Amino acid sequence: MSDSISPNRRSFLKSVGVSSLAVASAPVWVQAIQAAPVDDTQQSLQPGEQRITLKVNGQAHTLNVPANAILLDVLRDRLQLTGTKKGCDHGQCGACTLHVNGTAVNSCLSLAVSHDGDEITTIEGLEKDGKLHPVQEAFWEHDAYQCGYCTSGQIMSAVAILNDPSIGSDDSSVREAMSGNICRCGAYKNILAAIQSARGKVKGAS
Amino acid sequence: MRSFQFDRAASTEQALKAGQSNQAMYLAGGTTLLDLVKLDVMQPERLVDINRVGLNRLERQDDGSVRIGALVTNTTLAQDNYIVQAYPVLSQALLAGATTQLRNKATTAGNVMQRVRCHYFRDNVSPCNKRKPGSGCSAIEGDHRSVHAVLGTSQHCIAMHPSDMCVAMAAIGATVHVQGPKGERTIDFLDFHLRPGDTPEREHALAPGELITYITLAPPLANSLSGYLKLRDRASYQFALASSAIIVQLQGDRITDARIALGGVGTKPWRAHEAEQSLRGQPANDETFRRAAQLALQGATPYRHNAYKIPLAQQAIVRNLQTLTGGVA
Amino acid sequence: MNDIIGAGPRRVDGRLKVTGHAQYTADHGLKRMAYAYGVYSTIASGRVTRIDVDEAQRMPGVLGIYHHGHFTELYRPPKMKLNPDKIDRLVKVDESRLPFEDDRVYYAGQFVAMVVADSFEQARAAAYKVKVEYKEEPALATLAQAKRVQSPKTAGSDYSRGDPQAGFDKAAHRIDVTYTTPVETHNPMEMHATTAYWEGDRLFVYESTQSVIVHRNTLARIFGLSPDKVELQSPFIGSGFGSKLWAWPHSPATCAVARLVGRPVQFVVPRPQMFTTTGHRPATEQRLRLATDDQGKLLSVRHESVNSTSFTDQNTESCGSVTKSLYSCPNLAVTHATLQVNHGTPTSMRAPGAAPGLFALESAMDEMAEAIGMDPLAFRKLNASTRDESKDMPWSSNHLQEAFDKAAAKFGWDKRTPEPGSMRDGHEIIGYGLAACNWDAMRCACEARVSLRADGTAYVTCGAQDIGTGTYTIVAQAVSKITGLPLEKITVQLGDSSFPPGPVSGGSWATASVLPAVAEATRDAIEQLKSFAIEDGPFKGADPKALEFTNGRLVKGNDALGFGHLLTTRRLSSAEGEARTQTADKSDVSIRSFGAHFVEVRWDPGISRLRVSRVVSAIDVGQVINAKAAANQVEGAIVMAIGMAMFEATHYDERNAMPTNNDYAEYVVPVHADQPPELDVILLDYPDYALNEFGARGIGEIGITGLAAAIANAVYHATGKRIRDLPITLDKLMDEVPQTV
Repeated sequence: MSDSISPNRRSFLKSVGVSSLAVASAPVWVQAIQAAPVDDTQQSLQPGEQRITLKVNGQAHTLNVPANAILLDVLRDRLQLTGTKKGCDHGQCGACTLHVNGTAVNSCLSLAVSHDGDEITTIEGLEKDGKLHPVQEAFWEHDAYQCGYCTSGQIMSAVAILNDPSIGSDDSSVREAMSGNICRCGAYKNILAAIQSARGKVKGAS
Repeated sequence: MRSFQFDRAASTEQALKAGQSNQAMYLAGGTTLLDLVKLDVMQPERLVDINRVGLNRLERQDDGSVRIGALVTNTTLAQDNYIVQAYPVLSQALLAGATTQLRNKATTAGNVMQRVRCHYFRDNVSPCNKRKPGSGCSAIEGDHRSVHAVLGTSQHCIAMHPSDMCVAMAAIGATVHVQGPKGERTIDFLDFHLRPGDTPEREHALAPGELITYITLAPPLANSLSGYLKLRDRASYQFALASSAIIVQLQGDRITDARIALGGVGTKPWRAHEAEQSLRGQPANDETFRRAAQLALQGATPYRHNAYKIPLAQQAIVRNLQTLTGGVA
Repeated sequence: MNDIIGAGPRRVDGRLKVTGHAQYTADHGLKRMAYAYGVYSTIASGRVTRIDVDEAQRMPGVLGIYHHGHFTELYRPPKMKLNPDKIDRLVKVDESRLPFEDDRVYYAGQFVAMVVADSFEQARAAAYKVKVEYKEEPALATLAQAKRVQSPKTAGSDYSRGDPQAGFDKAAHRIDVTYTTPVETHNPMEMHATTAYWEGDRLFVYESTQSVIVHRNTLARIFGLSPDKVELQSPFIGSGFGSKLWAWPHSPATCAVARLVGRPVQFVVPRPQMFTTTGHRPATEQRLRLATDDQGKLLSVRHESVNSTSFTDQNTESCGSVTKSLYSCPNLAVTHATLQVNHGTPTSMRAPGAAPGLFALESAMDEMAEAIGMDPLAFRKLNASTRDESKDMPWSSNHLQEAFDKAAAKFGWDKRTPEPGSMRDGHEIIGYGLAACNWDAMRCACEARVSLRADGTAYVTCGAQDIGTGTYTIVAQAVSKITGLPLEKITVQLGDSSFPPGPVSGGSWATASVLPAVAEATRDAIEQLKSFAIEDGPFKGADPKALEFTNGRLVKGNDALGFGHLLTTRRLSSAEGEARTQTADKSDVSIRSFGAHFVEVRWDPGISRLRVSRVVSAIDVGQVINAKAAANQVEGAIVMAIGMAMFEATHYDERNAMPTNNDYAEYVVPVHADQPPELDVILLDYPDYALNEFGARGIGEIGITGLAAAIANAVYHATGKRIRDLPITLDKLMDEVPQTV
């Protein structure tokens, strides 16, 4: 699938086109990014590589990856699922948070080969049939971001927290539970408001 | 990041076998190991993934104690109903550590095995006796405000042990079960972590190739109250500047027994036996608490930027005791 | 016309942000893209004597290793003065030394080599195998060390009026105090990144930048190209806070290696090097001498500031710029000077000058009030300026007194008992503090293009960028206001150097600069539309001036025609409008934003815990364009200011100037749990038409100014301890810290 992106003038413009901000045009682009599954079965394994299957947002990919490939980088560089961000690469910021088998983890501290067979949900997998997840909707409505770079991680943590009955519903419990997601823009007040407003809308939606 | 051979073990036996090769390391949650491999501070030739060897059970024993599988995550352990009820100090300590998503990955054995946060250790350049024995300690005369110790330090290393969980376990009392090429053995939790002394590169009592399989907690102290108090600059997501794990048994307003361990101030999870002894049989009041706090830190060595940790740790003891005993509003 | 200006519509780019589809620089994957990783100096001063790449070169996937002596010839960008009227022609870097230019090392974490490989891990692994030998020289780690061996170098921005010394000498009350602030690092969540490729002599770059135009111009100069040979895009930026204003060495280095390996190359600055090679707020030492008469009127103010800079460039932190005019005082002097240390070159960080400067001034105002025995609020209200005494001009719009009153009322300042430590709640001692906040109001030249299209939509392009402040959305709001189109029918494109040149997103001037150009271009498009309308149809032969444009339709009397319909029937694709707007006329008026912060802290002496529990801020930033995004800006600035006040300091080892907390674990910034439970922002919302037709000034920086002083003042009120050295960490507030040997 990486062949669909080519470094020439046309593709430069193409990527510009896809980041168009016309609200109406966004879904078209979204479909473009959720491309066909990757299947490396026909590629011979290179020295040091292992073949793994990752089920990402419901789609199974078979990948030949080096043992030292990090899950975050494989999602971004091999599957072009760039919604998950790298903010520190060392488990110190939370921008790379995604769900492995339903649990929120830092993907920057995960080897891809350790996740053979795992079900992974990234920010791109929350939207269902063109309908935003209630937490996504709430973040949009409450202006729960500024630059948007930590937003994917914030939302993935928020979804997990709202689905976790052991985490209290009061503001200070949510603040503590969300503290693994740094927002340098400081949109914490709005993020909290978004999470609390999505409470009760999440069950059955995810 | 360097290349390494990767093996996923399906059983403890497989893991042990793979773990015998030169420069093999066991990979659990990865929150310490991959962090340090990325920095090239840890340099494994081979990683043995033990996440699926089945050591992820949490079992209550007949005597009320608990056997914790090495791979039980920090989240699972912290949220377990029995742990919350019988060992509040452990649940609180776990929840005070790291972040939600890191606790979801981090395991019990991995938490025990975590490395120090000293910048000179992590930068892979500065002299560091832990990383390169004999090269010197950069921290003693350098920056050591936040993640360095005042207890158990030596002229060769002053890095603090960063765990919260281990501080609670040190207070509770625990046994580390390990398997190695020579079979199984147990190590008292208080003997597991080593003071730096002359050999700061030796951090724990594991022999090469040995694998932690379980940690067994001592049965809960009867009729006790327990709690963890962690003090730090920001309100969350920071290693302790000082913390206390305290278990106290009261009869009326008199303390009959107590356990105290400290975090953020020791080169290992720091049990304060003398302070505990001073509490036994004494009335639960501020004078008693302050005396215990004094004793707990009496052997501390203040360094240029972290001397404040001595009174701070004392505060962590006094307030924790006040709160547990209800002695002060 | 509609009421879209000042409303709080959700962001037009919000859907892309909440779905992960907003593409930041490192999200652009290109076919055959290679990855670069840096090798960074492990000394802070000296020379590189040898670079051994043998082992690294043989590692799998390695395409090339570049360093001094093995690199492309580049040109230095010229030093140019920032002219707001010609900002589209600006070329600027903070670190004038080009990457790998010589064998000198000026700071730790300086690029000494760059490795390119097929994958990110391969590049990183090989970079670790590059062996660099150095001849190390003594390094200066701190301002204090530099002060011992250097004389401060004046920055050439001194100012004085009256006779400050005489005013001081004759005063009834005086203070003479010195404050320090440490190096702070921006640490935007998105690490700096460059993705570059060449097609012949044309260079295409994705860059995380606060100015696609200036960055484009700068790269063109460095590579000796005409600017039209360089195209730079930055559709989304993971914020910058000043660190992404101008190009840092990684950017030309990445472009150069992309040409050398003949493939697209992506480079991301690792977080530790975000502390070394992409700028920081310098350390400052500020001496404040204030004096009043016996009634509390200021008689003399002197603000002398020295800041750290690098050995390659002089960058001044203009701490005294606010001091010149915030309060009324007949005798006043402000000086700025620098000292050189072995750090990378400092740069602007959110509210440069004002953030550290107001920490000092507004702390000193409290100390002065106490010396007189006055309430700190009453003292400020008494001395607030009624005109800009530094320029001898009236203020265009200054509502500081109202900001003080409104915030004080909402906060409950009247419940404060003046004695330090006198307000208690259980274990905690409560402290109340306040400070004024203040920021310049600027405007730059800007161009924009607006198309009214046959499908009934509007399409806007401008070579500005949205760094997270909401520029996409407010541009759509401006077009909506003029055309009556709903936001869904307006497409805004920013962050592309091929668009009509827009300003730098910095200095809180983007809104004030971009909106007038967009409005003018929209009206220009409507004029063209009218010219089409009078050729045929119901408006044939009409005077264009008689045609009104409302709600997307041309109207005259009872006749109305939607513009989409008009264009479609004429088989025209669009009506096009363009505009260039210039800076505001400031020849007879001084334009700034004013406000006030009130802070409640809680100090628990039993566990040495300090927390900010409540903030009420009232700020006048002119007309608010988007209520949601505007409040968000101030709230976020307050969070960053809490970090500045209580946590943030980049540390350098005093022995060798190596950074010792350059990661996100040890450089402590506020997390969710540090958010004050109560945070109220009141925006006074007085349009200031002196700056532009929208009456908007700008909102990104003012929130961070003054807040650290408000916290320091509250801490004093709680603890009786006056902390003059940021950050106010718990160890500075503790009693009985033992002495060390």
